[in-house]
Amino acid sequence: MQTNQNDEFYLRYYVGHKGVYGHEFLEFEFRSDGRLRYANNSNYKQDVLIRKECFVSESVISEFKRIIEESEIIKENDSKWPAPDKIGRQELEIKLGNAHISFTTSKLGSIHDVQSSQDPDGLRVFFYLIQDLKCFVFSLIGLHFRIKPVN
Amino acid sequence: MSKKQVIDNTDRYKGEAGNFQSLESDDGPGPMKSVEGWILIAKGIHEEAQEDDLFDAFSKYGPIKNLHLNLDRRTGFVKGYALVEFSEFAHAQDALNGINKSEGICGKKIQVDWAFKKPNKKGALKQIKKQ
Repeated sequence: MQTNQNDEFYLRYYVGHKGVYGHEFLEFEFRSDGRLRYANNSNYKQDVLIRKECFVSESVISEFKRIIEESEIIKENDSKWPAPDKIGRQELEIKLGNAHISFTTSKLGSIHDVQSSQDPDGLRVFFYLIQDLKCFVFSLIGLHFRIKPVN
Repeated sequence: MSKKQVIDNTDRYKGEAGNFQSLESDDGPGPMKSVEGWILIAKGIHEEAQEDDLFDAFSKYGPIKNLHLNLDRRTGFVKGYALVEFSEFAHAQDALNGINKSEGICGKKIQVDWAFKKPNKKGALKQIKKQ
Protein backbone atom coordinates (compact mmCIF):
# COMPACT_ATOMS: atom_id res chain seq x y z
CA MET A 1 0.00 0.00 0.00
CA GLN A 2 1.63 3.20 -1.16
CA THR A 3 1.13 6.30 0.87
CA ASN A 4 2.42 9.74 0.10
CA GLN A 5 2.76 11.04 3.60
CA ASN A 6 6.30 12.28 3.81
CA ASP A 7 6.30 12.09 7.55
CA GLU A 8 5.06 8.53 7.88
CA PHE A 9 7.36 6.74 10.23
CA TYR A 10 7.31 3.30 11.82
CA LEU A 11 10.15 1.38 13.41
CA ARG A 12 10.04 -2.02 15.06
CA TYR A 13 12.89 -4.21 16.17
CA TYR A 14 12.63 -7.65 17.73
CA VAL A 15 15.28 -10.06 18.88
CA GLY A 16 14.53 -13.24 20.74
CA HIS A 17 14.31 -16.93 20.97
CA LYS A 18 12.13 -19.58 22.53
CA GLY A 19 13.98 -22.05 24.66
CA VAL A 20 14.32 -23.69 28.00
CA TYR A 21 13.43 -20.51 29.86
CA GLY A 22 10.45 -19.68 27.67
CA HIS A 23 10.26 -16.82 25.22
CA GLU A 24 13.17 -14.48 25.89
CA PHE A 25 13.03 -11.37 23.81
CA LEU A 26 13.50 -7.67 23.39
CA GLU A 27 11.20 -5.59 21.24
CA PHE A 28 10.63 -1.89 20.69
CA GLU A 29 8.29 -0.05 18.39
CA PHE A 30 7.94 3.60 17.36
CA ARG A 31 5.06 5.31 15.60
CA SER A 32 4.96 8.73 13.90
CA ASP A 33 2.89 10.15 16.73
CA GLY A 34 5.81 9.50 19.05
CA ARG A 35 4.48 6.45 20.85
CA LEU A 36 7.32 4.20 21.93
CA ARG A 37 6.58 0.71 23.21
CA TYR A 38 9.26 -1.38 24.79
CA ALA A 39 9.10 -4.99 25.97
CA ASN A 40 11.88 -7.03 27.46
CA ASN A 41 11.85 -10.50 28.92
CA SER A 42 15.01 -11.88 30.42
CA ASN A 43 15.63 -14.96 32.51
CA TYR A 44 17.60 -12.89 34.99
CA LYS A 45 14.34 -11.30 35.96
CA GLN A 46 12.71 -14.65 36.62
CA ASP A 47 9.26 -14.42 35.08
CA VAL A 48 8.94 -10.68 35.12
CA LEU A 49 8.19 -9.24 31.73
CA ILE A 50 8.83 -5.54 31.38
CA ARG A 51 6.45 -3.63 29.13
CA LYS A 52 6.68 0.12 28.98
CA GLU A 53 5.06 2.79 26.90
CA CYS A 54 5.75 6.50 26.54
CA PHE A 55 5.62 9.28 23.99
CA VAL A 56 8.78 10.81 22.64
CA SER A 57 8.98 14.25 21.11
CA GLU A 58 9.20 15.05 17.42
CA SER A 59 12.88 15.89 18.00
CA VAL A 60 13.56 12.34 19.13
CA ILE A 61 11.64 10.86 16.21
CA SER A 62 13.54 13.00 13.74
CA GLU A 63 16.84 11.88 15.28
CA PHE A 64 15.85 8.23 14.79
CA LYS A 65 14.97 9.06 11.18
CA ARG A 66 18.35 10.69 10.67
CA ILE A 67 20.21 7.69 12.10
CA ILE A 68 18.23 5.33 9.89
CA GLU A 69 18.74 7.43 6.76
CA GLU A 70 22.46 7.80 7.33
CA SER A 71 22.86 4.05 7.74
CA GLU A 72 21.33 3.51 4.28
CA ILE A 73 19.68 0.33 5.52
CA ILE A 74 16.82 1.06 3.10
CA LYS A 75 19.12 0.08 0.21
CA GLU A 76 19.79 -3.38 1.64
CA ASN A 77 17.80 -6.56 1.40
CA ASP A 78 17.85 -9.71 3.48
CA SER A 79 17.70 -12.31 0.71
CA LYS A 80 21.21 -13.57 1.47
CA TRP A 81 21.09 -13.13 5.21
CA PRO A 82 21.13 -16.14 7.52
CA ALA A 83 17.66 -17.45 8.30
CA PRO A 84 16.40 -17.47 11.86
CA ASP A 85 17.27 -20.66 13.69
CA LYS A 86 16.84 -22.21 17.10
CA ILE A 87 19.42 -19.83 18.52
CA GLY A 88 17.12 -16.98 17.69
CA ARG A 89 15.70 -14.46 15.29
CA GLN A 90 15.83 -10.74 14.65
CA GLU A 91 13.19 -8.68 12.89
CA LEU A 92 13.53 -5.11 11.70
CA GLU A 93 10.65 -3.26 10.13
CA ILE A 94 10.93 0.35 9.04
CA LYS A 95 8.60 2.72 7.20
CA LEU A 96 10.29 5.95 6.29
CA GLY A 97 8.50 8.21 3.85
CA ASN A 98 7.72 6.00 0.87
CA ALA A 99 10.25 3.32 1.77
CA HIS A 100 9.29 0.17 3.64
CA ILE A 101 11.66 -2.58 4.69
CA SER A 102 11.00 -5.73 6.63
CA PHE A 103 14.04 -7.86 7.41
CA THR A 104 14.30 -11.15 9.22
CA THR A 105 17.50 -12.90 10.14
CA SER A 106 19.15 -14.99 12.82
CA LYS A 107 20.82 -13.58 15.91
CA LEU A 108 24.25 -12.13 15.18
CA GLY A 109 26.65 -12.80 18.01
CA SER A 110 29.51 -10.71 16.75
CA ILE A 111 31.03 -8.98 13.76
CA HIS A 112 32.55 -12.35 12.85
CA ASP A 113 29.06 -13.69 12.07
CA VAL A 114 28.71 -10.73 9.73
CA GLN A 115 32.07 -11.19 7.96
CA SER A 116 31.45 -14.87 7.33
CA SER A 117 27.95 -14.42 5.87
CA GLN A 118 26.95 -14.31 2.20
CA ASP A 119 26.29 -10.57 2.33
CA PRO A 120 28.83 -9.11 4.72
CA ASP A 121 28.40 -5.53 3.56
CA GLY A 122 24.63 -5.47 3.91
CA LEU A 123 24.61 -7.41 7.13
CA ARG A 124 27.23 -5.07 8.54
CA VAL A 125 24.94 -2.10 7.94
CA PHE A 126 22.19 -3.96 9.78
CA PHE A 127 24.49 -5.06 12.59
CA TYR A 128 25.70 -1.57 13.44
CA LEU A 129 22.36 0.13 12.92
CA ILE A 130 20.73 -2.25 15.40
CA GLN A 131 23.39 -1.45 17.97
CA ASP A 132 22.90 2.28 17.51
CA LEU A 133 19.11 1.96 17.74
CA LYS A 134 19.27 -0.22 20.85
CA CYS A 135 21.70 2.16 22.48
CA PHE A 136 19.33 5.07 21.92
CA VAL A 137 16.23 3.17 23.05
CA PHE A 138 17.96 1.82 26.17
CA SER A 139 19.01 5.34 27.12
CA LEU A 140 15.49 6.69 26.61
CA ILE A 141 13.74 3.89 28.48
CA GLY A 142 16.36 3.60 31.19
CA LEU A 143 16.30 7.32 31.97
CA HIS A 144 12.55 7.80 31.68
CA PHE A 145 11.50 4.81 33.77
CA ARG A 146 14.64 4.38 35.86
CA ILE A 147 15.10 0.77 34.87
CA LYS A 148 18.09 -1.04 33.46
CA PRO A 149 17.18 -2.68 30.15
CA VAL A 150 18.76 -6.11 29.86
CA ASN A 151 20.47 -6.92 26.61
CA MET B 1 -5.59 -0.32 44.50
CA SER B 2 -6.08 -1.37 40.91
CA LYS B 3 -3.27 -1.25 38.44
CA LYS B 4 -4.97 -0.06 35.29
CA GLN B 5 -2.93 -0.28 32.17
CA VAL B 6 -3.35 0.32 28.48
CA ILE B 7 -5.16 -2.62 26.95
CA ASP B 8 -4.37 -2.94 23.29
CA ASN B 9 -6.49 -5.62 21.75
CA THR B 10 -5.01 -5.78 18.28
CA ASP B 11 -3.94 -9.28 17.36
CA ARG B 12 -0.32 -8.86 18.21
CA TYR B 13 -1.16 -7.65 21.68
CA LYS B 14 -3.78 -10.18 22.78
CA GLY B 15 -4.36 -10.63 26.47
CA GLU B 16 -1.50 -9.86 28.81
CA ALA B 17 0.73 -8.99 25.90
CA GLY B 18 -1.18 -5.76 25.44
CA ASN B 19 -0.57 -4.36 28.90
CA PHE B 20 2.01 -1.59 28.67
CA GLN B 21 2.88 0.42 31.75
CA SER B 22 3.40 4.12 31.52
CA LEU B 23 3.76 7.13 33.76
CA GLU B 24 0.68 9.06 34.81
CA SER B 25 -0.01 12.37 33.17
CA ASP B 26 -2.77 14.80 32.38
CA ASP B 27 -3.98 15.22 28.83
CA GLY B 28 -1.20 17.37 27.49
CA PRO B 29 0.15 18.86 25.34
CA GLY B 30 3.60 19.68 26.64
CA PRO B 31 6.74 18.02 27.90
CA MET B 32 6.45 14.93 30.06
CA LYS B 33 8.21 14.43 33.34
CA SER B 34 10.23 11.27 33.74
CA VAL B 35 10.43 9.24 36.94
CA GLU B 36 13.15 11.35 38.52
CA GLY B 37 13.42 14.49 36.45
CA TRP B 38 13.12 16.22 33.10
CA ILE B 39 14.99 14.92 30.11
CA LEU B 40 16.26 16.96 27.19
CA ILE B 41 17.58 15.76 23.86
CA ALA B 42 20.47 17.67 22.30
CA LYS B 43 21.16 17.12 18.59
CA GLY B 44 23.78 18.07 16.05
CA ILE B 45 26.65 17.46 18.45
CA HIS B 46 30.18 17.69 17.11
CA GLU B 47 31.72 14.30 16.36
CA GLU B 48 34.63 14.77 18.74
CA ALA B 49 32.71 16.33 21.60
CA GLN B 50 33.36 14.83 25.02
CA GLU B 51 31.04 14.38 27.95
CA ASP B 52 32.86 17.18 29.76
CA ASP B 53 31.96 19.63 26.99
CA LEU B 54 28.30 18.84 27.41
CA PHE B 55 28.55 18.80 31.15
CA ASP B 56 30.13 22.26 31.17
CA ALA B 57 27.54 23.71 28.81
CA PHE B 58 24.49 22.30 30.53
CA SER B 59 25.48 22.59 34.17
CA LYS B 60 25.48 26.38 33.83
CA TYR B 61 21.71 26.12 34.19
CA GLY B 62 21.51 23.79 37.13
CA PRO B 63 22.80 20.51 38.54
CA ILE B 64 22.69 17.69 36.01
CA LYS B 65 21.19 14.45 37.19
CA ASN B 66 22.18 12.32 34.20
CA LEU B 67 23.99 12.67 30.92
CA HIS B 68 24.12 10.12 28.10
CA LEU B 69 26.39 11.01 25.20
CA ASN B 70 26.08 7.89 23.06
CA LEU B 71 28.74 6.82 20.62
CA ASP B 72 28.45 5.50 17.10
CA ARG B 73 29.02 1.80 17.66
CA ARG B 74 31.04 1.43 14.46
CA THR B 75 33.26 4.51 14.45
CA GLY B 76 33.59 5.27 18.14
CA PHE B 77 32.79 8.92 17.51
CA VAL B 78 29.84 10.62 19.09
CA LYS B 79 26.61 9.55 17.40
CA GLY B 80 25.33 13.12 17.36
CA TYR B 81 22.77 13.30 20.14
CA ALA B 82 22.80 13.41 23.92
CA LEU B 83 20.18 13.01 26.62
CA VAL B 84 20.51 15.33 29.61
CA GLU B 85 18.39 15.10 32.72
CA PHE B 86 17.70 17.82 35.27
CA SER B 87 15.74 17.29 38.49
CA GLU B 88 14.11 20.70 38.23
CA PHE B 89 11.84 21.76 35.40
CA ALA B 90 13.07 25.35 35.56
CA HIS B 91 16.70 24.30 35.08
CA ALA B 92 15.78 22.16 32.11
CA GLN B 93 13.71 24.94 30.58
CA ASP B 94 16.51 27.46 31.07
CA ALA B 95 19.05 25.07 29.53
CA LEU B 96 16.78 24.47 26.56
CA ASN B 97 16.40 28.18 25.88
CA GLY B 98 19.95 29.16 26.75
CA ILE B 99 21.82 26.52 24.81
CA ASN B 100 19.70 26.89 21.69
CA LYS B 101 20.76 30.53 21.60
CA SER B 102 24.40 29.84 22.43
CA GLU B 103 27.47 28.99 20.33
CA GLY B 104 26.81 25.31 21.01
CA ILE B 105 29.42 22.63 21.73
CA CYS B 106 32.95 22.70 20.32
CA GLY B 107 31.96 25.64 18.16
CA LYS B 108 29.00 23.85 16.59
CA LYS B 109 25.46 24.92 17.35
CA ILE B 110 23.22 22.24 18.78
CA GLN B 111 19.44 21.96 19.01
CA VAL B 112 17.89 21.20 22.38
CA ASP B 113 14.32 20.06 22.94
CA TRP B 114 12.30 18.03 25.41
CA ALA B 115 12.72 14.29 24.92
CA PHE B 116 9.33 13.15 26.16
CA LYS B 117 5.90 14.58 25.67
CA LYS B 118 2.48 13.97 27.11
CA PRO B 119 0.16 11.87 24.98
CA ASN B 120 -2.17 14.03 22.92
CA LYS B 121 -5.21 11.81 23.02
CA LYS B 122 -7.74 12.56 25.70
CA GLY B 123 -8.03 9.67 28.09
CA ALA B 124 -4.94 7.89 26.86
CA LEU B 125 -2.36 6.62 29.34
CA LYS B 126 -4.33 7.28 32.50
CA GLN B 127 -2.60 4.61 34.51
CA ILE B 128 -1.25 4.19 37.97
CA LYS B 129 2.48 4.65 37.99
CA LYS B 130 4.18 1.37 38.78
CA GLN B 131 7.09 1.15 41.26
